[in-house]
Order: sequence, then structure tokens, then C-alpha cells
Amino acid sequence: MLRRFAISVLLATLSLPAFARTRPHYGGTLRVEVAGDGMHGQDGFLLRLVLDGLTQLGGDGTPQPSLAVSWKSENSDHRWEFQLRQGVQFQNGFLLTADRVVASLNVSCNGNCPWTTVHAVGSSVVFIGDSPLPNLPWLLAENQYLISLTDSGDGKAPMYCIGTGPFALNDQNQMRSLIANDSYWHGRPFVDKIEVLTGRSVRDQWLDLSVGRADVVEVPPEELRQAQQQRLTVVASQPVELLALGIGETGALANPVLRASIAEALDRAALFNVIFQKQGEITASLLPQEMTGYAFLFPTGRDLNKAHELRGGLNTPLLTMGVAGSGAMMLAAQRIALNLREAGFDVQPVDMNRVQHSDLVLRTLPIEGADASAAMEGVLRAAGEPAPVPRQSTAALFRAEREFLQRRTLVPLIDLPRAYAIGPRVRDFALNAEGAPDLASASLGDAP
Amino acid sequence: MATKLMRLAALAICSAMGFAAAAAPSPGPWDQPAETLAEQIAGILGPGPVELSIHNLSSTPNSEVGPIRRLIEQDLKEHGVTISAAQTANAIHITLSESARQRVWVAEVVEGDDTQVAMVELPPAKLQQTQSVGGLMLRKEQIIADSGPILAALEVGVSLVVVEPQQIVIYAAAGSGWQAQQRAGIVQRLPLARDPRGILLSTADRTGFEGFLAGVECMGSAPAANQPGSWSVQCHASDDPWTILQAPAQVNGTAPAPVFKAFYNASRDYFVGVVTPGVGVDLPGFYSAALVPRAVGNGAFLIAGVDGKVQLAENGVLATVAGTRDWGSDLAVLRSGCGTGTQVIASSSGEAVSDSLRAYELPALEAVPASAPLVMEGTVTAMWPAPDAKSVFAVVRKANEYEVDRVTALCN
Repeated sequence: MLRRFAISVLLATLSLPAFARTRPHYGGTLRVEVAGDGMHGQDGFLLRLVLDGLTQLGGDGTPQPSLAVSWKSENSDHRWEFQLRQGVQFQNGFLLTADRVVASLNVSCNGNCPWTTVHAVGSSVVFIGDSPLPNLPWLLAENQYLISLTDSGDGKAPMYCIGTGPFALNDQNQMRSLIANDSYWHGRPFVDKIEVLTGRSVRDQWLDLSVGRADVVEVPPEELRQAQQQRLTVVASQPVELLALGIGETGALANPVLRASIAEALDRAALFNVIFQKQGEITASLLPQEMTGYAFLFPTGRDLNKAHELRGGLNTPLLTMGVAGSGAMMLAAQRIALNLREAGFDVQPVDMNRVQHSDLVLRTLPIEGADASAAMEGVLRAAGEPAPVPRQSTAALFRAEREFLQRRTLVPLIDLPRAYAIGPRVRDFALNAEGAPDLASASLGDAP
Repeated sequence: MATKLMRLAALAICSAMGFAAAAAPSPGPWDQPAETLAEQIAGILGPGPVELSIHNLSSTPNSEVGPIRRLIEQDLKEHGVTISAAQTANAIHITLSESARQRVWVAEVVEGDDTQVAMVELPPAKLQQTQSVGGLMLRKEQIIADSGPILAALEVGVSLVVVEPQQIVIYAAAGSGWQAQQRAGIVQRLPLARDPRGILLSTADRTGFEGFLAGVECMGSAPAANQPGSWSVQCHASDDPWTILQAPAQVNGTAPAPVFKAFYNASRDYFVGVVTPGVGVDLPGFYSAALVPRAVGNGAFLIAGVDGKVQLAENGVLATVAGTRDWGSDLAVLRSGCGTGTQVIASSSGEAVSDSLRAYELPALEAVPASAPLVMEGTVTAMWPAPDAKSVFAVVRKANEYEVDRVTALCN
């Protein structure tokens, strides 16, 4: 049960070198390939190489100093003060100041911030909330609140993303380059450069890995088994994403009984066994069992009779199910549509990017860190249900979760891991608490 | 009276399993959570008969489930809730569960169609430490831990000197631990490396220290004995070679080994291979070095190379040492007094999640294991011998802290 502290596990046996393994070497170019752009959404792990947050999550999920060296809360968590690290520079040489941090935070949440106001006081950043902000140090470690330069000195936003992180961004067409930041406050990264090929299909990524053209490639959860069969060296995280079905509260589904009927009709086992090839964990809870210890209290089984009973004679028009993603996500949506048809619901899966509104939404939500309260708050926020989550006790957390899930607006389905395959040159490759690769600490075995 | 007897019986079982204190009157680890959970359940149910089931989803040994059940039954009884073998309308389903951070006991209290939940939280189960076996046994004790990186540490008299990337901290003994007494900033003129290194050595009179970091050399001296005052610490920019090996205390009147200095590549964090005095052969770049005593002469110069090879420079010849494929980059000599008297302590190669240290004899050009691996529960980032070489110190990076451990050997 302490698996979560061991952030990543090697799924394939590493071939032992003929010589002893050494401290990491400096130098070389690491070649990474991704299907997306690596900078946005849940796959935006490259963003963390360019930007830092005020805090960062440690291996056990607790907030650790990053651009802020210390923080304190007052007035029952309504006021927080974060003391900035001194002498930190942006990659263009500008000094990190409290004013620049405030400007960045204001841009990042664009008026929809969890706090009411944020302002600079000397070298501190002060947050004020009308509601208590008990999880603010965890929140500030998330991608959304990473600090970037908003003014390049001429009153205009920089042409490209500038932060204080271990690498500086240098985009050229489809090839994204990250250059080591020699002045990084936390120590220069080992590799000199990371070249990222974006928009690459998983098949092409694996092909490039096999012929030595790539060093780090993606392995979607549903492909983990195949990657092992192909004897790729795979590093997988513990579950860091929740596959969940969102159910709208408007229109035909405003009736909570119908939402409950849909929840009862879902066959998680089929999704897990067939679509996701038994990777991850079946769940009906917002957070994995190993984070809370009580996830087993939410039953995961399908009860089609109860689904019929709840629906009774109520008829619904054709429901649309927006799907965020392709491939396995679309297959999962089709399987869910089949489940719901058996319960009397007619559901049409559609690409979420092509519709403005859908009755149901199938998507993955990030489970960030290992702190249950902060992670749950993050999941709820990602699901569009922002609410402060209690920190007092596990029992209070359970009650908050049960109350939320009883509304049946979000139905957890499967906890999914994230995984990457690495080539033989890559050393010291590990995943952080969010399942993202920590490429600043990776090195190359053949570096000079 | 019956309750007390049952508790004593449960305690006796716990004690036999190594979970309870030896003295019978002291409460066992399950008493308090059992009592709390029973109280919560009774608050929901009220007095009356009830069915009880219990199952274990945690790392708690199954042999403990019986004693826990008995404790809960007794505590429920004290609240008027009696366990019935016959079918009743009310039932309690208890699950011994756990998360990564703690154990959780969950009671689902069923009254007809209504189910309510009660919970208690317990500290996490303690990990069992594997016992070392072999020619000698390594053991470790934590000296100090800190949330930030520690590069090196040295005990000087009643003080502990700790080098961090940007400061030197002097700790004073406080009870069984250490308390920060003085801090001296280090102005780094070079950008900080990803894995910064440092070395601390005791001065010849054992009242001060000499320290080396990338591009910086520091000297420190303790206030005179019985004189109140603070340490004097001075640092200055320096490209001078680092003192990497210092003569340990003389053994049996043998001549002291020479002091070795080595030039350091501050931007790449390794020694370039230029050593003074010379060892009679050109050395490649290396991460760490140790002087292995020999019956005759000053000893053999052992290096953990940047290329991953462990090599021994002796009699003007540089030769690769066999049996070192699983060695990491840190090594130090330990004068344990066991076996041949001296062993090389080497870190593991880092293939496993957690590094380990292991003692080796080095009779010729082959490393022979002399102890079982000592699991360090983290990544070993630095290692060096104590001034008397009777122990070695290791810095271990853990999830959220850096820890300095003293490693000693016990002869089997």
C-alpha cells in the first residue's frame, strides 16, 4: 500500500550494463515524441520544464518550496502569504518579483480564480479568499498556476513562454526545443537540450524508439500490455487520471432518478477488461483506494435491474455523449452507449470538439499529488464542480465525497496510470507525483 | 473483570507477535482505535443485538484480526451492543483498510435499509527492516535530517558542521539531537549544478574544518574550549584542488597515508583525474576515491570512474576491479576491525528503487562481498569516511528530505 510513494515502477527488465552505473553525466540531447503538443492539458508535462510554481509536490504529495520558500495562513485559511525565493531569474534574465508573480497568476485564472484577490507585499505574494482556502499550497503546484512572464518589458506579452524553469523554450515548426537553463535556481539539468517531436502518433513514436530515433515516447494505458509484450522498457505511474462520466443536470437528465439509473447501468468491468486491457483500477470513488483507504465503500458493480427499476417508464430523447479524446476513449464511449442502451437509454457518442453541448461527457480528470483532500479538490475543479474539500479527517472527506457522488453528476469509472517507454540511452528517468516525466533529472548514458 | 481478562489475553497475543509492549498493563496498539470505533458504532446503533463481520484489506497481519475483533466486541458490549449469532435486522461490517499514509478502520453500520459509516484512523504500519547477514553486518543510525539538500557533514567536538549548497550550518548538541546554532552563507559564483557536491574534512587539530564546493573553499574553526563565542567560518572563491583523502589516525604505528588532492570539474561534478601527489599512473575522470590499505606501502588508490569502471591504481598500474558491476559512484574505506580489518563500502548502482550500501573485501583485483546489502531507503548522494575511518557517513535523499546516516560494521 505504500506503492504511491514509489512514484514509478519499471515494468520491463532493464538490461544491465557491463560496467557499473555511475552518477548522472551532463550533456547530450534527449529526444522526446508526443501525440499532443506537450504544453497543454493533461499531457502538458513540457510546461513544467519551462515554468515553476510557487510550490511543488514532493514524493509523498505534500507541497514543497519552489519559487516560494515559505508560506503561512491566517484568519482560518482566508489569508495566505507566500515568501518568494530571492535571486531567481526568468530565462530572459528578468528578476522574479512579487509583482510579476501576481501578474502571472491573474492571467492564469483569468478572473475565475479560487481566491478573491492576490497582491504583492514586498517580496511576498498575498492571497485573500472570501471562502477559506485550506488547500492553496497544493493548488499552487498545479500546471494552471505555474508562473510565466506576462510582460517582456515593452508592455506586451512575450512572443513565447518564458519562465524560471530548468529549460528555456525554443520552438521551430513541429520540432520543439528546450535548452538547458544554466542559471536554474535548483541546479542545471543534466541534458543540454530536449528535442520534442509533437503531433506524432503512438505507432510512429514506438517505431522511432525501436530504431533509435527517439529516447522517450508515450505509452497509453490501453497499450501498456502490448508495450510489455514488445519488451519495451516502460516506466508507469500509479493511477493519476480518473476516467469518469459526467452527467448533465439540465434537460432530460435534470431528474436525479434518471442520472442514478445511468450510473447503475455502467459496466466498469467490461471497460477495464476489454478497452483498457486490465490496466489501472476499477473504481466508483473519486480517488484511488490507496489514497483514502475507503474507496471500497463505493460499489463498482453493475445493476441493470436497478437501472431499469429507477428509469421506470420515464423516456428520454436521444442523448449525446461528448468524448474528450480519441482511440480508446471513443471505444469506451461506444461501450458505455451499449450499456445504456440495455437500460433503455439511446446515446450517441460524439467528438466533444465538434459539439457545443452534450448530455453526457466522457473524460479523464487528473488526480494530482498524494494528498487526498487536495487531490479531491483538484478532481472536482477539473470536473467543473469547484468546492473546498475538508481536511479535518478521513471520515469528513468520505462524507464530502459521498454527498457529491450522490448527486450523480459525475460517475467515476477507472483509475488510469500514465506510462512512457524509454530507450537504452536514457538514465535516471522517473515520473513525478502527477505521473509526468521529470526530464530535468534524467540523463544520457552516452553523454560525454 | 471479564473485559479486563479478555484485554489481557489480547495483549498477550499481541505481545507474542511483537506488536505490544512487554509489560502487560500498558495498552496495546489496537485498544484505542477499537474503543473509538465501538463508541462511534454504538452512537449510531444504540443498545441491542447485532451481527458483526470483519475483514482485512490492509497489511495488518491476519493473525491480528481475531484480537482486534475481540477488542471491538468487548468495547461494543460496554456500550450495550451485543454480538448475536442469530440473524438480526442490524449488522456491522468492519473493514481493516489502509491508504498510503495511514490505516483506516471502517464500520458499515446497517439498520434495515439504512447504512451509515463510522471510521477511525491509525498510524501506518511500520516497515520491517531486513536483517543483514554475512561476514559482517552493516548498520546505520541517522545523524540529522533536513528538508533541503545536504552535501556533507562532519562532527567536530560537540558540534556538527553541515554543508548545504548555499550555506554552512553549525549545529550544537541538544538532547538526543542537534539544533542549528549558526549559519554562514556561501556565495556561489558558478551556477548551481543539478547534483552539487561538497567535501568536509577535519583540520589536523580536530577543532575545525576545511570544506570544498564547486568553485569555493571554506575554513572553519570552533571557539576555543570553555570560551563562549561563535564559530569562525570563511569562504572564498577557489579553483584549487580538493582534498579528497586525508590520513586517518595512525594504526599500530604505521606511517600515515599521504593527503591526496584532486582537481574538480565544477560544471560536470567530477574529478578530472589529476591527483597530487601522483599515484604513478594517469587516472581517468572519477567521482570518488579511496585508499585501500596494503600490508606494504601506502596502499592502493581505488576510483569509481566517470565511465562506470571501478579501477585500482597500484604499483604504477591501473587495473579494473572485477565484481563491481553493481557498484554505484560512491565508495569509502571502513576500518571495521572485522575480517581483514578494512573493507570498502560501496553504494549500489541505483537500479533498484532504493540504494543500498555493502561492504567488500579487496584482496586483489576482485571485490568480494563481506556483508549483506544495507538498504538505505532512498538514493545515496554522497559518502565519506569518518576522520578515524571506523565509520562512514552517507547522505540519503528521500521523498521529502535529506538524511545523514552513520554506517558502522558489526563483526559476525
